[in-house]
Amino acid sequence: MAYGISIWERLGIRKSSGVSEAGWGHTAFVALISFIYFLPVLFIIFTAIKPQGLALSVPPTLSPTSLLGLIPEQFVFTPTLENFGSVFSRVMTAGSQPEATGFDRFFLNSIVIATASVVLALIFGTLAAYGFSRYPLKGNDTYLFIILTTRMLPAIVVVIPVILMFRTVGLSGSYLGIILLYTAFNLAFTIWMMKSFFDELSTDVEDAARIDGSSEVKVFFKICLPQVVAGLAATFVFGLILTWNEFLFALLLTGPDTRTVPVAMNQAVSSGGRGTDWTLLAAIETLFLIPVFLVTFFLQEHLLRGVTFGTVKK
Amino acid sequence: MTMHAMSAIEPTSPPPGVLAIRADNWRLAIVAGLALSIFAALTLPASVSFWVVGVAAAMIAAAFVVNAYRRRYYGGLLVAPAIAVLFVMNIFPLLWSLGLSFFAYQSNQQSIRFVGLNNYIKVLTNEIAAPGNWSALVNTALFVVLTVSAQMMVGFLLAMLFAKQFPLRKYLLILVLTPMMLSVVASGVFFTYYYDPTFGILSYVMNAITGGQFILMDSKAGAVAGIVFADAWMWSPFVMLLVLAGLVSVPKYLYEAAAIDRVSAWRRFWSITFPYIRGLLMLALLFRTIEAFKLADLVILLTKGGNDTMTISYHLIRIANEQNKTSEGAAISYVMLFMVIVLTNLYLYLANRRNQES
Amino acid sequence: MSTIEIRKVTKAFGEFIAVRDADLSVAAGEVVCLLGPSGCGKTTTLRMIAGLERATSGDVVIAGQRMNDLSPQKRDIAMVFQFYALYPALTVRENIAMPLYHEKLSSSEMASRVSRVAEILHLREILERLPGQVSEGEKQRIAVARAIIRDPNCFLFDEPLSRLDVELRHSMRGQIKAVLSNLSKATVIVTHDQLEALTMADRIAIMRDGLIEQVGSPHEVFAKPDNVFVASFIGTPQMNLIEVQFKDYSSGKATVTFDQQDVVISVNPGVARLRPGKVTVGVRPRAFSVVPNGTVDAIGAMAELIEPMGAETLVHARTVTGSDIRVVVPREMKVKPGEALHLVPDPAQTHIFTDDGRAVRA
Repeated sequence: MAYGISIWERLGIRKSSGVSEAGWGHTAFVALISFIYFLPVLFIIFTAIKPQGLALSVPPTLSPTSLLGLIPEQFVFTPTLENFGSVFSRVMTAGSQPEATGFDRFFLNSIVIATASVVLALIFGTLAAYGFSRYPLKGNDTYLFIILTTRMLPAIVVVIPVILMFRTVGLSGSYLGIILLYTAFNLAFTIWMMKSFFDELSTDVEDAARIDGSSEVKVFFKICLPQVVAGLAATFVFGLILTWNEFLFALLLTGPDTRTVPVAMNQAVSSGGRGTDWTLLAAIETLFLIPVFLVTFFLQEHLLRGVTFGTVKK
Repeated sequence: MTMHAMSAIEPTSPPPGVLAIRADNWRLAIVAGLALSIFAALTLPASVSFWVVGVAAAMIAAAFVVNAYRRRYYGGLLVAPAIAVLFVMNIFPLLWSLGLSFFAYQSNQQSIRFVGLNNYIKVLTNEIAAPGNWSALVNTALFVVLTVSAQMMVGFLLAMLFAKQFPLRKYLLILVLTPMMLSVVASGVFFTYYYDPTFGILSYVMNAITGGQFILMDSKAGAVAGIVFADAWMWSPFVMLLVLAGLVSVPKYLYEAAAIDRVSAWRRFWSITFPYIRGLLMLALLFRTIEAFKLADLVILLTKGGNDTMTISYHLIRIANEQNKTSEGAAISYVMLFMVIVLTNLYLYLANRRNQES
Repeated sequence: MSTIEIRKVTKAFGEFIAVRDADLSVAAGEVVCLLGPSGCGKTTTLRMIAGLERATSGDVVIAGQRMNDLSPQKRDIAMVFQFYALYPALTVRENIAMPLYHEKLSSSEMASRVSRVAEILHLREILERLPGQVSEGEKQRIAVARAIIRDPNCFLFDEPLSRLDVELRHSMRGQIKAVLSNLSKATVIVTHDQLEALTMADRIAIMRDGLIEQVGSPHEVFAKPDNVFVASFIGTPQMNLIEVQFKDYSSGKATVTFDQQDVVISVNPGVARLRPGKVTVGVRPRAFSVVPNGTVDAIGAMAELIEPMGAETLVHARTVTGSDIRVVVPREMKVKPGEALHLVPDPAQTHIFTDDGRAVRA
């Protein structure tokens, strides 16, 4: 036969009507790559359910199950949930009773601070983006570039004046201080992203609404905002991922009451002079990963549609 | 950009002259505010001048808002809250540290003295301070080139894998995105474990293969490779996300037309796909370059700057935070900011030129 | 030989059957239009011929070879897409030249082929522009140019004119027809516009709900519709379809009960085979003659709405029992709303459809 189906097509790796969907062969290939890419994370998660004594075993223990004898016995460990308990309460000094570690508070802090600052940035940033998009100023691009430059400096340069400023004003260690700082931290890309979304909308509908007598406020809330929901979702996820794990500002500007998980994690694993407590660190990170993982998973489709930043030509 | 109906409405009153003392004269407010701030910064102690500057800023902001409201510049009103937050939390500290870079100031001492450009001259030419700065800068350049190119390549290849629809795509995609969501503390610390000569997985595998003792972080090349690998692993998903967004925005009918026209895969990529992702690649390059310049956390966790892996950002943290040489640190960071701005402008210039060519 | 043949082709999207047992053959040099309302499966049929969709069952045969399993690249076809699918980052020249790279031509050969089709389709002036910088009509011509620049097995057009305004559509119809007649290739055009199909096609395949209802020349589908759907779909204004009781037939005349009155109409002899019962009588609006009051077997109706159409006038009339009848009368005949009309259908243009919608023919 002059034209045959290639072996790849038979395996479903390349379909002969090649422009549409790929098949299970492609899935298998991508699954392999994704799994390899995910391995370091998987190892952290497995460490979180390892008995503490096995954390530094040689050879390293790799899996809680032997997968029906596929993995040699020496690499297998018996899973435990103990480490998650010791995130919240554990024996601090040898021989004493378990104490609360305050991690419940730190988790709550992280959630409150990250959510509040991302939402605030979204509110201010969306308004500003709408302004930049619909009421362009002279030298609009210059202003936008200046806003972008606020993200270019190493945090340490900004942080010293901010520490001094917070001390003077009494914002050190308060929720308001760190939330406002993170809001500013998120504003730059929120404005950039949302502006590109507003730029893409046709202004015809808005003008029609104005002619029908809608107020400017109504035009914004009823006409524009519903059309950029994907953008809002994408910006939210991006902001959340970046804020959730921020370390330096949190280290220098949060107090005992407002401490976030990354800072507490850093202290928890290196305190006591016994070196890194691997299983504890892994347990904290695993718990800490869950919220942001879930949010990203559920907003994934928006994320993809959202991050084009308007750079894609129509 | 469309100017629309509302901005066409006549201003309710003519704009004020530069010297007219009125609530909406923002030009005068800026001049007065700047003069006041500079005067305060030069003569008064920091704790007082802070408030003076704050009042000046509030005055300028108020003038802007009143002006915007009276002339129906809704744009100004909309932008104002964001600008206010950015000003207080970013731009003001930036200007403050810019100011500091012209003074001799150490955060653990009370004295402050104007020294002009001396800090800059010192960090760039002093025979004790400058060599450290320069080598940190060279290392940073090395890391920028290596991490950014690694991220771009890996991110691009990952995006190509996910460009098609296939079963379970959603679940596999989230796996690849996860490294980006890890706290850098945890992933950094765990990479020290992976690389650990005694307990680490990498060493275990390498020892089993070579039979000898494998220590990755023993040489500069190894240490750099270890840091670049960890950083690329964490942030390639970011590049992937941007590229993927571009890939999925290519209309399907273009690929169908290409199939009908019997266009080769190579030509199809360059003629159809690439134009859709070029802007996003540029953006990813821009963002990741900016971030790569700031690389410090992984270096702190993995090598503590050993094996000649000190980066400018880590160096800066040491100078400014551990050695309390605040104004020297500020000077270094402004040299760095200058470089980043030059580089990003170069990117943007090249990107625009490419756009105009095509 | 440049031919297309599809045999018993079916396309299922999950539960939904988009195309069912479609049979169609297109000879070399023949232009066949797939015509039907939106969602009838005509575009899916075209995409199966192109290889952009895989047929669930049946055979797709192009140039005498079964091609079901071949990708579009290997079928050697040219296609004009509904939205033109011009490559946005390439100039008009590069767009048109795209199909030539496969043939590994020298650059001078390529340039001369491009300039030849650019000449035919009047694109010379805009060759260096980007698709974003040309008009809708020019885009359409670029898409056609890209299709005719090579020598494929066949041509496929997906709603080629749907995005043009009325005037452009008219002139493009003529242009495409002229271009195609010089190529002597099998051509399939998908359209929902019957005027387009009637003017451009050698034969028309009318589709509904995934089924090909009738294939025939423009004259055949208009004059001898196979069923009620084709009868109602082809022709403007739409054919009058009146449900009546068939009583009996003798020597070319049928007696039907309509509006509680028995009417004798001239029909074809095939009607003799019918049993008494419900049938549908189809009469085109132009096939009525208006006769004086008292004429035998005339249908009485009252004019309600008058729509002047230029040369003719469309009259919406209502019969005694309230059935709606559309009649086209010459412009000179001044009909006023409320006026009584007496109508006799032209026997040669009167169609009888059985209860299940099939046409009764001699």
